[in-house]
Amino acid sequence: MRKILFFILLFSTLIQAQTDKPTLIIYTYDSFTASWGPAPKVKEAFEKVCNCNLEFVSTSSAIGTLRKIQLEGANTKADILLGLDKSSAGIARKTNLFMKHGLDTSKLSLPVKWTDNEFLPYDYGYFAFVYDTNRDKKIPHSFEELLKMPKSFKIIIQDPRSSTPGLGLLLWIKKVYGDKAGEYWKKLSPHILTVTKGWSEAYGLFLKGEANMVLSYTTSPAYHIIAEKKTNYKTADFKEGHYGQVEVSAILKSSKHKKLAKQFLEFTMSETFANIIPTTNWSYPVVKTKKGLPKGFDSLHTPSKMLLIDDEKLEKNRKKYINEWLNAIK
Amino acid sequence: MLSNSIWRFRLSIIPGSLISFLLLLLAFGIFYTLFLNSGFENFSSVLITSRVQGLIKFTLFQAFLSTLLSVFIGTLLAWSLAHQNSFRGRDFLIALLSSSLVLPTLIVVFGIITILGNNGWINRSLLYLFNFSFENSIYGLGGILVAHVYLNASFAARSLLHIFESIPKERYKLAKSLNFSTYRRFALIEFPAIKLSLKSISSTIFLLCFTSFAIVLTLGGSPSYNTLEVAIYEAVRLDFDIPLALKLALIQLSITMFLVFLSSNFNIGISNIKTSSNQIPWKEPKKLQFFQLIVISIFTILFILPLISIFVDGFGANFIKILSNKLFLKSLITSLVIATFSSIFTVVFALLISDARRNFNINYRVKKTKLSSFINILISFSGNIYLAIPSLILGLGFFLLSQKFQAPLLLWSLGAILCANILMSLPFALSIIYPTMQKVALRYDKLSFSLNLNGSKRWLYCEWPYLKSSVAYVFALSFCLSLGDLGVVALFGSNEITTLPWYLYQLMGSYQTKDSAGVALILLVLTLSVFIFLPKVFKNVANR
Repeated sequence: MRKILFFILLFSTLIQAQTDKPTLIIYTYDSFTASWGPAPKVKEAFEKVCNCNLEFVSTSSAIGTLRKIQLEGANTKADILLGLDKSSAGIARKTNLFMKHGLDTSKLSLPVKWTDNEFLPYDYGYFAFVYDTNRDKKIPHSFEELLKMPKSFKIIIQDPRSSTPGLGLLLWIKKVYGDKAGEYWKKLSPHILTVTKGWSEAYGLFLKGEANMVLSYTTSPAYHIIAEKKTNYKTADFKEGHYGQVEVSAILKSSKHKKLAKQFLEFTMSETFANIIPTTNWSYPVVKTKKGLPKGFDSLHTPSKMLLIDDEKLEKNRKKYINEWLNAIK
Repeated sequence: MLSNSIWRFRLSIIPGSLISFLLLLLAFGIFYTLFLNSGFENFSSVLITSRVQGLIKFTLFQAFLSTLLSVFIGTLLAWSLAHQNSFRGRDFLIALLSSSLVLPTLIVVFGIITILGNNGWINRSLLYLFNFSFENSIYGLGGILVAHVYLNASFAARSLLHIFESIPKERYKLAKSLNFSTYRRFALIEFPAIKLSLKSISSTIFLLCFTSFAIVLTLGGSPSYNTLEVAIYEAVRLDFDIPLALKLALIQLSITMFLVFLSSNFNIGISNIKTSSNQIPWKEPKKLQFFQLIVISIFTILFILPLISIFVDGFGANFIKILSNKLFLKSLITSLVIATFSSIFTVVFALLISDARRNFNINYRVKKTKLSSFINILISFSGNIYLAIPSLILGLGFFLLSQKFQAPLLLWSLGAILCANILMSLPFALSIIYPTMQKVALRYDKLSFSLNLNGSKRWLYCEWPYLKSSVAYVFALSFCLSLGDLGVVALFGSNEITTLPWYLYQLMGSYQTKDSAGVALILLVLTLSVFIFLPKVFKNVANR
């Protein structure tokens, strides 16, 4: 045992010794850092241009990462927090831990105008219900039509308290129905097969054929087309528009490498980064590239409108919205 | 008087008590750090909402039902298996019984859904044969109960089987010669023998169901079927309300304390110890035999089908791709190393703690006083810490401690994982090892005291022959539990340590269902082989 400890210590000092270059540390969620995720390619590309080391530290969720930074307090090694959804960025803003990035955002080509000067988007997508064309031909094209489906038509959703898509649907319905959202949830609840903790469980159940539709992203079919050569998964186009997921990153005020951190944020708006995103994070990049999107993305359905709720309003009512949902769906 | 007898048994009391003390200290440290982090004023102002009260009520209710069903089915199955001891594939079936408990819960849930879900095998065959299917039968309270019974009844059956098998055959002979009915035989011979274990197993199962997370969330169907853990999760992650989380954790702690209190103060009169492994020469009556075989077949099918579905799902995976992945190999090795260390520690801890605890439960060793019963409860509580502290709070506590006492993160995370795995296996280990050790003491104390047999000799000649099969089982169980545990790794977010279940969840979280099914199959095969081969290895070593 003592030998092992010795080697661990030796190993960690070796790692420290090799770094005369500055190390930029990014805290993020773990599917970003998976070997098939964007992190390895991003690291390689950024280290070519920055004369630095890039290190990712991951936890199981982006909000968990934020809490980790808060718990670490002054000791945190994080320079950048990457991966919060715009809908959760308000929670992070309240902590006062992040600084203004001061970057020119005119390059961004998002479906909505971006004005936030703390949180910078690096990819985006839309929430949508995925279905299997081999199983269902008739699918709903709006929230109203969803209610009118036969009783046996089931959907799987995620808990908004623990999952980003779950929160997305909550806000989506809030945006469409306003004060009547609670009533809508009540009517929808017979169609809900189960509410899972996270996306993985829900999508897994759907692939097992447990329900007709699952809450996911409009870009989900791209994975099946590109990686599995399957074209039977599609998303239901809702005429009210689709709620958007915009993933953002921000620099910590406590960072010792602010200049480098800014350089990284600038890099997330580059073409290099934009070309990595689609097939590693299965979402849209925030800038247009010469190369364009990979084949397979062209067959995805693009919503006519990206719905979003204003940050301030969301922050004021977050708890209220969730309680409304809890009371309605019992 | 008390101090005299404690002095006399110091060698058996001190090591185990020390471990217990350290475990309690750890639990206290975790709560204390959290408390420091939240501040007293905040703490006293937090209110428990009516929703949380509802959650607690529901959780108690579902845990109660789950325990009742699991223990009933477990006993029935163990009883049947004990009387049918010579059919083919029995060893394999017993190994299978243990494996469901130790697999990552989500895999088991998916296995159950593959069989009983809307689009499950049963529904699909019904649809095909009779054009009829159950709708959503598995989602809701029913689903929670099915999954809990699936996991825990097999554990109960497996551990009770040990007890049934160690009932002296002379007693069965006596029952036969007195012409006992099956009921009288159970009531007068078998039930008194399993009573002690039944209590400790029931309280362990109750706590497991009370703290169950993935099952309740996935199969519950709606947020009204949630658990306390969800409320804690919400408080920590979403609201960052550590005082509330702490309060919720304290509720769980008090419930656990209460249960431990209830189940730790028992005395047993008869000592049941296996005297010979000779089989009973006569068979059960035809009708009874038929009934027992039916019970065994029904539950075998029910228990095995979800595991078979894991095989079927995993078979299509590209194993060359999985096995050649560097991250997979790294996770596999990490998991195996951690499992080895934590299972060794668990066995040693369980033996020492049980050894120390029995002093306080046996009147002629340490006279029963208020103090000695209190120590007895404390020791038995120290083994159940994992069930008393919600895992999220445990992770949070470790994290805060790591902030306080700076050390390389890798060391901290290794320590935390090892520690969490040991804590997780201890309740099972103790509920298996302790009853046997107490019985051995009751039966052989006088003899070994008069022969002056103590220390390592006593262990070797007196305890080991009776403990070896339990130890083999506990070793296998804790090895596999730690192999299948996602645990606190995720909260720590250390890049250096990736375990096999973590890798599996990663695959699931990024559309790679095929590969994740393959990894699940590998985990299942690993677990089964440990359960089948480890007891054999122990047997061979012992026979030499």
